[in-house]
Amino acid sequence: MSATGLTAAQAGLVSCETCNLLTQPVHPERPGHCPRCGAELESRRPRSIQYTWALVIAAAICYIPANLLPVMNTTTLGTTEPDTIMGGVVFLYTSGSWPLALVVLIASVMVPIGKLIALTYLLVTVQRGVQGGTRERTRLYRMVEIIGRWSMLDVFVDTFTVALLQLKPLMSVEPGLGVLFFAAVVVLTMLAAETFDPRLIWDSGTRVEK
Amino acid sequence: MTDNADRGDLPQATVVPKKHRRVSVVWIIPILAAAIAIGIAVQRILSEGPTITIVFKAAQGIEAGKTFIKYKDVNIGQVSAVQLTDDFSKVKVTAKIAKNAAGLMVEDAQFWVVEPRITLSGVSGLGTLLSGNYIGFEAGQSARKQVAFTGLNEPPPLTQGDSGRMFTLQASKLGSLGIGAPVYYRSLEAGQVIGYRLAPGGKSVNIDIFVKAPYDKYVNTETRFWNASGLDVSIGANGVNVRTESLVSLIAGGMAFDDPPFASDGEPASANAVFTLFADETSAMKQPEAIAQHYVLYFNESLRGLSVGAPVTLLGLQGGEVTEVGLDFDPKTKKVRGRVEIVTYPERLVGRMHGKAVVAGQAVEHSAQKRHAFIQQMFEHFGMRGQLQSGSLLTGQLFVAFDFFPNAKKMKIDWNQEVPELPVVPGTLPNLEEKVGSILTKLDNLQWEKIGSDTRQAIETFNQVLKDADKALVRFDSDLTPEIKSAIEEFRRATASADRMIRNADATLVSPDAPGQQALRNAMQEVARAARSLRVLTDYLERHPEALIRGKTEEKP
Repeated sequence: MSATGLTAAQAGLVSCETCNLLTQPVHPERPGHCPRCGAELESRRPRSIQYTWALVIAAAICYIPANLLPVMNTTTLGTTEPDTIMGGVVFLYTSGSWPLALVVLIASVMVPIGKLIALTYLLVTVQRGVQGGTRERTRLYRMVEIIGRWSMLDVFVDTFTVALLQLKPLMSVEPGLGVLFFAAVVVLTMLAAETFDPRLIWDSGTRVEK
Repeated sequence: MTDNADRGDLPQATVVPKKHRRVSVVWIIPILAAAIAIGIAVQRILSEGPTITIVFKAAQGIEAGKTFIKYKDVNIGQVSAVQLTDDFSKVKVTAKIAKNAAGLMVEDAQFWVVEPRITLSGVSGLGTLLSGNYIGFEAGQSARKQVAFTGLNEPPPLTQGDSGRMFTLQASKLGSLGIGAPVYYRSLEAGQVIGYRLAPGGKSVNIDIFVKAPYDKYVNTETRFWNASGLDVSIGANGVNVRTESLVSLIAGGMAFDDPPFASDGEPASANAVFTLFADETSAMKQPEAIAQHYVLYFNESLRGLSVGAPVTLLGLQGGEVTEVGLDFDPKTKKVRGRVEIVTYPERLVGRMHGKAVVAGQAVEHSAQKRHAFIQQMFEHFGMRGQLQSGSLLTGQLFVAFDFFPNAKKMKIDWNQEVPELPVVPGTLPNLEEKVGSILTKLDNLQWEKIGSDTRQAIETFNQVLKDADKALVRFDSDLTPEIKSAIEEFRRATASADRMIRNADATLVSPDAPGQQALRNAMQEVARAARSLRVLTDYLERHPEALIRGKTEEKP
C-alpha cells in the first residue's frame, strides 16, 4: 500500500477530468471550471453510485430475455427455426466445433454476466467502504471498461447475417427480439462502467491513511 | 474588493445548497427494462397453448423443435420432444399447440404422420419432400378436451372439411377393394372407400364409403352400387363380355354407382344409409321383378351347357331366366328326363311393347286368368314351344327359347299344377348332332369293298385309255415333225431380217452420232440459249422497269 497516497479530494484539490490539471476548487461543493481547458470540475462524479446501480440493474433485467428470446429466426424452405444465443452455443458444440462454441460462450454469455458481476462487486465494495484490494479493483474496472465494446460483436454479426441471408424463398433470416435485449445489455453495461467513478475506490481505500 | 465595500448596503446573495433529489431519474431505465421484460413474459405465457402427447407406432422424420403439426396446411403446433414410450414399443411425441388452436384438441381429434406416399391410386404429400415430414391433424366433433392422443398409422382417407356423405355397403366379400379405392359415378371419381370391417355376424363385409359433394346427391334410395374392380370378363350365352371402369380400378379396385334405368326418382339417401354392393353392373342393374311366373320344362335331350341364370327368351327377347336345372323321372314313360325350371318376368316383355299392346299386355300381366288364357292360346293355337338353343357355338352355352312351331301338336297346359309345365320341342342343336350322326351311320353302311373294286376297274380302264392316247401321239409325231421343222426354220429367217432392219433404224435415229440426234440436240441448245437471254432480259427489266421507255442506261459501279 506504499503507492497509495492522499487522494486529490482528501488534499482539498480537484483534478480536471478532461486535462488532468490539479486545481484548487472554488468551493468544495461546487469546484467551478478548469482554468486550463474550461471543463466543469467535479471532485467526484455526482450520484455515480446511484446511476451505476440503476444501469446495472436494468442491464441485469435485460440479460434474462436476451438469453431466453431468439436472437435470430432462420427460415429454411418454409420451416422457421428460432435460435437463441445458448442454442447457438449448444449447436456449435454438438456439431463439433467446440472452440467456436467457447468463443461464443465467452463473448456473448460470460462477458456480459462477468461485467455485471464485476460492476456489482465494485459498487458494493465502494458503498461498504471496503479498504483492501484497491489496485485490483481498479484493474477490474479498467478491464470492464475495455472489454465492454467487444460484446457488441454479437449484435454486429446478427445484423450482418440478417442483411445478407435473404435468399427468399429458399432461406431467410429475421432478427429476433432477443438481439434487442442483448444490445441493451451491452449498451447499459457500457454506460454503467462509464458512470461509475473509479476514484470512489480510492476514497474508501485510503481512508485509513487520512 | 473595494467595490464590495462601496456597495455594502446591497443584500448579500445566499448560497442555497443544491437539493439533491434522493431518487434519481435514472431509475426509470431499470423500471422500463423490467416493464418490457415482464410484458413480454406475460405475453409469452398467455399465448402458450396446451402441451399434448401423441403416441405413434413409428415417428419417421419427426424431430423435436422442427416438426410441425398442421391442420389444413396451417401450423397449429410444434413438436417439442420425441421419446420412446415407457415400454419401448412406441414413440411418444410431445408437442406444443398454439393457443388459438387449443380448442381443437378434443377427444376424437386425429393425428398422423404426413410423408410422401405413392399408392396405386395416386401420389400424395409431395410437399414434405422439401419441408420434411409433418404431423397432420384432423379436427374432431367431440367437445371433451384431451391432451394425450394416439396417432393413426395411415392418414385418414378424407378430411372432414370435404362435404359429402358416408354410406355403408354390404358385400359378401371385400374382393380387391381397399381403403382409398375409388367410387365412380358415370366413370367420374365421386368418392372413395374409407374403411371396411366384418359385419357383426361374420357372414358379410361392411364397406364404408364417402361420396363427395356434389356427387352425393345422386345417391338416392334407388341407387345401386356394384363392384367395378379389375377386369370383368364374363362368358355367357350372350358371348364374351369384358369391361372395366377405369385403369385405376383395374389395379386398385373400385366401385361404381348409378340409378337403374327403370327406377323412379328415389328419395335422396340419408347419410350412413346402407346399400347392397352387387358383384357387377349387370346384377346391380337387374330389375327387381315384381311379377315372376315359374314354369317347368321337361327335355329329353342333353342339358349340357344350360346353366342357372341362362336367359329365357320369347322370340329372341329376354323375358326370364333358368332357375334350376335338374333331372326328373317321367312316371308315364318310366324314363329319366331333364327338368328345367324357369322364371319369367312378363313385365319385361310388356315393357317392350308399344301403343295399345301395352294396355293389353298390362291387363294380361296383372290378371292370372287373362294370363292363363293368353298363354294357353299361344301354346295351343299358335304352336308356341320351348326349345333349347345354343347361344354360342364357341362356348356351347344353351338357353331356353320360346318360338312358334306351327307344326307342333296341340297341347293343353295344366294350370292346376304348382309349377305349370310348358311344352317343348327338341332343340336344333341336338337335331344337328342327330343328323350328323345319321350321316355317319350311312357312311358306315356304305359297301366300301364294292366301291374299292369298282374304283380299281375304273383305274384300269383309264390306264388303257392312256396307252391308246400314247400310241396316237407317237403316230402324230412321226407324221408331222418334218413339216414343223421347216416351218420353224422359215420363221427364224424372218426374225433375223427383222432384227437387221431394226438395227439400221437405230443407227440413224437413236445412236449418239446419228444425224437426226445431232440436229435435235443443236436445236435444243439454241432454245436453251434463247431462254437464258430472255431470263437476263426479264431480270434486268425487273430491276430497271424504266428501261422499257428510256433504253438501257449505264450501270454505275
